[in-house]
Amino acid sequence: MSSSKTSRKESDRHNPKNSLISMISRPEIGPIGVMILLFGMLGYFSIPASETTWNPFAGEGFNALGIRNNLRVISQLGIIALGAGLLIIAGEFDLSIGSMIGFAGACMAMTLRWGFSIVLPYISFDGGAHLEFYTLLHIPDVSPILAIFITLCFTITFGWIQGFIIVRSGLPSFIVTLGGLFFLRGLTEVSLRSFNHRPDQAKGATTVTEIPDIKNIINLPGYGEMEREAAKYLPETDLISILKNLPSDVITKITERLEYTSQRVAEAKTDLLIAKGVKPLEKALENAIASDNEFMIKTIQDKIENFKIDPVTPKTVTDVDIARAYIDTIGSARPVADFFGGNILEPIFDWLYFPVDWNVNNFGNQFAPGLYSCVMIWVILSLVCYIVLSKTQVGNWIYSTGGNLSAAQANGVPTNKVKISLFMFSAFCATLFATCQVFEVNTSDAAKGNLKELEAIAAAVIGGIVMTGGFGTILGIIVGAFIFGLAKEAFFYIPGIDGSFYRVFLGFVIIASALLNENIRKRIMGNI
Amino acid sequence: MISKSNPLIETKDLVKKFGSFTALNGVSLKVYPGEVHALLGDNGAGKSTLIKALSGVHQPTSGKILVEGNETKFNSPRDASEVGIGTVYQDLALNSLTSVTRNFFLGRELKFGKGPFGILKMQKMHNIAIEEMAKIGIKIEDPEQPVGTMSGGQRQTLAIARAIYFGAKVLILDEPTSALGQKQQMEVLKTIKKVQQLGNIAIILITHNEIHARLIADRYTFISLGEVIGSGTSKDLEGDDIRRLMAGGAEVGDLAKELA
Ligand SMILES: Nc1ncnc2c1ncn2[C@@H]1O[C@H](COP(=O)(O)OP(=O)(O)OP(=O)(O)O)[C@@H](O)[C@H]1O
Ligand SMILES: [Mg+2]
Repeated sequence: MSSSKTSRKESDRHNPKNSLISMISRPEIGPIGVMILLFGMLGYFSIPASETTWNPFAGEGFNALGIRNNLRVISQLGIIALGAGLLIIAGEFDLSIGSMIGFAGACMAMTLRWGFSIVLPYISFDGGAHLEFYTLLHIPDVSPILAIFITLCFTITFGWIQGFIIVRSGLPSFIVTLGGLFFLRGLTEVSLRSFNHRPDQAKGATTVTEIPDIKNIINLPGYGEMEREAAKYLPETDLISILKNLPSDVITKITERLEYTSQRVAEAKTDLLIAKGVKPLEKALENAIASDNEFMIKTIQDKIENFKIDPVTPKTVTDVDIARAYIDTIGSARPVADFFGGNILEPIFDWLYFPVDWNVNNFGNQFAPGLYSCVMIWVILSLVCYIVLSKTQVGNWIYSTGGNLSAAQANGVPTNKVKISLFMFSAFCATLFATCQVFEVNTSDAAKGNLKELEAIAAAVIGGIVMTGGFGTILGIIVGAFIFGLAKEAFFYIPGIDGSFYRVFLGFVIIASALLNENIRKRIMGNI
Repeated sequence: MISKSNPLIETKDLVKKFGSFTALNGVSLKVYPGEVHALLGDNGAGKSTLIKALSGVHQPTSGKILVEGNETKFNSPRDASEVGIGTVYQDLALNSLTSVTRNFFLGRELKFGKGPFGILKMQKMHNIAIEEMAKIGIKIEDPEQPVGTMSGGQRQTLAIARAIYFGAKVLILDEPTSALGQKQQMEVLKTIKKVQQLGNIAIILITHNEIHARLIADRYTFISLGEVIGSGTSKDLEGDDIRRLMAGGAEVGDLAKELA
């Protein structure tokens, strides 16, 4: 026994932070690795077979349209994963998210289509007892913001009810929200059918269609409000008269752009024609080489070399074209609908097409108009959640509610309020999801959001949220949503395999993440 | 060490009944500032019940609780903590998954702005947490360290420092050393000693460990079957007395014979 050890102090056992080590021991590092891998896979496998290269950014997954579509899937999932994830951190679950999406979408679409009323049912005895309705309030024309508000009243109240039942009864949230899952889905189907019911049908459809394209309602000077498409197909004389009132610099700019486009389209057409002409020749050349026919090889080679096609002449830009292009530039007269269902970053995507010549499809036209609005909603919501969870008092309450409920209560944390609020927030996220969808596609379907609650929970788990609560970060939830969305796309592109393999892959990832999370949790709890 | 001042907290004939069962049958005791008051007694004697009455968890059936000479009624633990009674429970009420600072300020976070969405003053809270824990003898290197990775003794210190920082004049410790190893037990005793030396805090210490009591207690109250069976200062009592009274008044010698 040596006594020299006695000079060692407790503090000596603590390794001072090494920035590299502390970075790679962050819980998000594993998921971020998987995310990067999937990024690579998506890029690499989406490269068309004829253009093989190792640069993943050459792939279709990362062309303008690919980015637009992938980010849409990711951000939609990301929005509900935030609601689900925060709730799991506080130690509860919400299985009703998917049904809530269907319900919110239907509620919004129905109020937009048929208006909103509050009715009082009563039994009337005129001509036999039957139910009649006294209308207290009827709003035939519901604006987008009012539709969203009405829907939020329903969904957030429902979230509150679920939370209230759970904290008051002590029942597991699994059961209560499972009830919510069936209840809401059923309610959605029932109400859609009864509202869609027509006398000549046995029962109505469970969809709402024929909602106008609200985000594309514009205020055309001299004509009032109308849908953009309708405005573009006004009589040509009207279109030309619209041009008369435009400042000349606007017209020059639009003309310049249209000329660029028709030039670009013509080039693309020429390229296509050349390819069409040369392809059969190349095939023939291959055959000739295979059969070793010197003469044929030479003639075909000559033919390929001298292959010429007159370049397609660009379409001339007419005044009608300019007027239509101008109508495309008029901002929406329904900013709320446009905020949720429209596009963002349009100037950037325009710039990428017009001077940069990147955002171009095979026919020479602009590929993607911008990103879907839901991406912006996701970014804003993530930022807010990040600040709330890691920088505010509520954040500490959320962590402690899920981490050690009795400790939180003993220290005066209003744990019941925290939980109920998060159930309401989860309903809010589902409503946001539905809002974006309704204003994007102008329809709603009772089946919308099916299984989304499980995807949201999966994304949260993949992102490092521990199912028993108390642990996880917003960055993790974001990464989880990326992994889920990217996997879906990347596996779709892998040649020769069934697209559903992404589910197999995600199954592995979920279990692996859960094991990893549990390991980290135990290490922090001091059990390892 | 014995202070001549008035008791910080005092009970008079405290009775607590759970239905037909009398857990406390008229307990009177006085706790002075700057003193460690050891509450000793056999399992089920009623020690925890007594401190639960003092910390507002239970409402006494009859009898009085006086804080600084004024009769007080506690309807909830919150009431008790408002008049300065800080209880460190056996489970310490800590969230192992979050940092030292977040636990130190749990429920009472410092923030910019009002309301629960106020932004946390993280740096300030880090500094206070480190400083307060250093005052009672534990140096924390990293206030971001999750509590789960701290030793049992360090956790005890955190809980005690927290109670003191948030205005505890009476610190109630229910078996703070029971779940700890030898070295950490000593750490906690040192912490308690430091708190005692602050001079203005009265400490009620429940323990089953005679040695620990003798090391730091200034005054003893022995409870058996819900009644006080003896009390005194450390000078008044001999080691044998303590052992005998701790076992509920039975002679340890008799027990030794019984076991033989
Ligand atoms: N809520 C309650 N309802 C009924 N009886 C109770 C309740 N709380 C405590 N008791 C009883 O009161 C008696 C005293 O319990 P108490 O917990 O105060 O003992 P203790 O002195 O702290 O014992 P230990 O040293 O084992 O912690 C026990 O017989 C216990 O069963
Ligand atoms: Mg006890």
